Amino acid sequence: MKKAIASGNFLRSKLFWAIVAELLILLVGFILRPDFLSIQLRTLSDGTTVLFGTPVDILNRASEITIIAMGMTLVIALGGTDISVGALVAVSGAIALKFLRWDVLVYNTPGDYTVQPFYLVILLPLLACTLMGLFNGALIGKLKIQPIIATLILMVGGRGIAQIVTDGKQFTTQYTPFKFIGNGSILGLPLPIIITLVVVLGVMLFVRRTSFGMFVESVGINPNASRVSGLKSGTIILIAYVLTGFLSGISGLIYASRISSNDSNNAGLGYEMDAILAVVIGGTSMTGGKFSLTGTVVGSLIIRTITTLVLYFGVVSEAIMAFKALIIAVVIVLQSEPVRNAISRRRDRIRTQMGGEARA
Amino acid sequence: MSDIILEMRGMEISFPGVKALDQVDFTLRRGEVHALLGENGAGKSTLIKVLTGVHRPDAGTMLLSGQPIRPGSTQEAQKMGISTVYQEVNLCHNLTVAENIFIGRQPMKRGRIDWKTINRRARELMLRMGMDIDVTQPLSAYSIAIQQMASIARAVDINAQVLILDEPTSSLDDNEVVNLFAVMRELKAQGLGIIFITHFLDQVFAVSDRLTVLRNGRLVGEYEAGAISKLELVTNMVGKDMNVIYNLQKAPRPDEAPVVLEASGIGIPGKVEDISLNIRKGELLGFAGLLGSGRTETAEMLFGVVPVHQGSISIGEEPLSLRAPLDAIRRGMAFCPEDRKRDGIIGDLSIRENIALAVQATRGFMHPLPQKEQQELAQRFIKLLSIATPDADKKVGELSGGNQQKVILARWMATNPDLLILDEPTRGIDIGAKAEIQRLMLEMCKEGRSVIFISSELDEIIRCANRIIVMRDLAKAAEVDGDTCTQADILAIIANEGEGEEAAV
Repeated sequence: MKKAIASGNFLRSKLFWAIVAELLILLVGFILRPDFLSIQLRTLSDGTTVLFGTPVDILNRASEITIIAMGMTLVIALGGTDISVGALVAVSGAIALKFLRWDVLVYNTPGDYTVQPFYLVILLPLLACTLMGLFNGALIGKLKIQPIIATLILMVGGRGIAQIVTDGKQFTTQYTPFKFIGNGSILGLPLPIIITLVVVLGVMLFVRRTSFGMFVESVGINPNASRVSGLKSGTIILIAYVLTGFLSGISGLIYASRISSNDSNNAGLGYEMDAILAVVIGGTSMTGGKFSLTGTVVGSLIIRTITTLVLYFGVVSEAIMAFKALIIAVVIVLQSEPVRNAISRRRDRIRTQMGGEARA
Repeated sequence: MSDIILEMRGMEISFPGVKALDQVDFTLRRGEVHALLGENGAGKSTLIKVLTGVHRPDAGTMLLSGQPIRPGSTQEAQKMGISTVYQEVNLCHNLTVAENIFIGRQPMKRGRIDWKTINRRARELMLRMGMDIDVTQPLSAYSIAIQQMASIARAVDINAQVLILDEPTSSLDDNEVVNLFAVMRELKAQGLGIIFITHFLDQVFAVSDRLTVLRNGRLVGEYEAGAISKLELVTNMVGKDMNVIYNLQKAPRPDEAPVVLEASGIGIPGKVEDISLNIRKGELLGFAGLLGSGRTETAEMLFGVVPVHQGSISIGEEPLSLRAPLDAIRRGMAFCPEDRKRDGIIGDLSIRENIALAVQATRGFMHPLPQKEQQELAQRFIKLLSIATPDADKKVGELSGGNQQKVILARWMATNPDLLILDEPTRGIDIGAKAEIQRLMLEMCKEGRSVIFISSELDEIIRCANRIIVMRDLAKAAEVDGDTCTQADILAIIANEGEGEEAAV
């Protein structure tokens, strides 16, 4: 009896329908071309073996959004939003490339070298993005500025900063350790997937092993009552934005490594919307409150699966955005409360009918 | 019988984990006021929500004038002639009285709204209820009582056969209540069936013809109003003997004990001015006064919810500077706020999390209370305060008002406070839970904790408090002895009759 109630709740949950949607999209891909789901081990020319196949590709390419969306989940659960993450991705890449190619007049050809020590190439972009997250968090948590306005500043300004850092130039690099971040693999698994796993597990542990998750939900559900109960909502909000900034930095390094370059105009373009969408599809409400990190991971995979599907079947590139929007619309309608309730009511009715017959 | 308008038979409905209604019958006759009674969580509102189409019942039949009905929404129920007036007036304050009565169904004339008819008919309707007012004035120009009459007028005009009044008197003064009762009698004479829900038992006897009592989702019985005594009624509602509440023993007044908290001249200009008070260890200090007299503001200053602009607070010998409630909590204070929904519960979190919240806040999030301890804490208080729930993982938002209040109380008792400030802890909860909360307060005093108890109900303040501060017009009017004063004394101070400030201390 108790189990039936629990499974009934799960059927009504957004997470369940997100998983259903993901499986359906994969199924469509599989029906159209059976090799859509195939995975194989391939040996590269340098002797390493790597997993190949569309599913691996989806996981790999979902990394940038998944990592950012972990922080975005907390931000949204607190009733906020962060639209600066895409710009922060650009900043992260710009700083990394700046340090790899510090004095471009001297080191005017890209190659397998770095000018500054490699740890600075990694740490300084992360530090910069963390500080930008702190800026967002201070405006929102301490000065109580509306999140969308506060993060609009760096959404616009971030790409400007990226331009300034690199003097408006686009650098490229062939430095192997840096290229390894986005293109390498360990035990056959692409490194971005491993980084994503570490981030996801890290955030999950941080949120659920400490009381941070409970505090986030509490502030998101009822800020007044949380304050009266002794929570410092400003600090909690601050931490969520700092974390999101830091994660955007990681995402930016992966992106820059993949293209071996910085691109102030296009790096992380539209990531804020994809990350917000991933969170919402995953079952966290934009009004704040309860959140699900697992849901966000599924949401991010859905978005990437759609993109991959569209690319895989050669939809003309002009139509990609419209096509993606169409599938997302279907997913969101499927998840909407009236539809979810209607489906689970139908199922309940069938079940009670069957139960009645069994008794009779 | 032809004079039965509404008949509900064998109503059943379940929510996850609870059977909210179990085989409940209810009949309403034409031209009667029928009181629906029960503690919070007894199933009154659920029954009304089934009747008005908010919930769909799992089983049972409803007959309206002999015809089976199954309303799917409040609009559908309204079309059938079942209208509800809720506790909070939900009308538009910026529209005129007449507009409010006719909004959404304005009579038209040649494709345009017929204002003349609207205003004339609105005036007739209000007159019929003994209200001679200008219906073209905005609703906000009138008192809550008149606004309520307007919402009744609106409800009645939709061809109502059944009128449901859900706690209509909770924000009215005595005169306005009398007026409302006159209107109810008038309406029932016109053949309407009225379902009356209230917590005030005196009012039940003043106006009802019959009453139905529910308890824990079951029907206890249906009675003629003249055939049952108040005590019998309460015993039926609570299901146990009510003598406990009248046998509460006040804690002895601790005149020798040290002062735990002292405030001198605290205030916020324009909100509350120049409040001085002290409270001793083990003392129960009552705060009386009308709503809006500055009681809540004083409590919020003491707890750091709002910043203190003038004066100073000290705990023991040390001065206390409060920037946020957390500072007060760290110094051993606790505060159950007046507005439970806004400042108290975290509705979507579980009972366990709600109880652990304040303890966890003092520890910081990096030092989480282990799950096991949280669970033990929750279980201990669920048992101690007899919170009605199947388990600690139920969402607090799904509990009844009295149980929510107990969860908030548990949240603060878990912090093991020296000084507990309770702002209207018994408002809107049933008599059984009320008695329990009063008993708990007194017990805490006996354990050596201090309690500041704010309430609008003078009898419960007098029953519990050692000393009583009376507030009037955003300032402290007097301080009286809780053992010797009477309700009349306090009322006189509130009404500012005898100029004798600072009565016997």
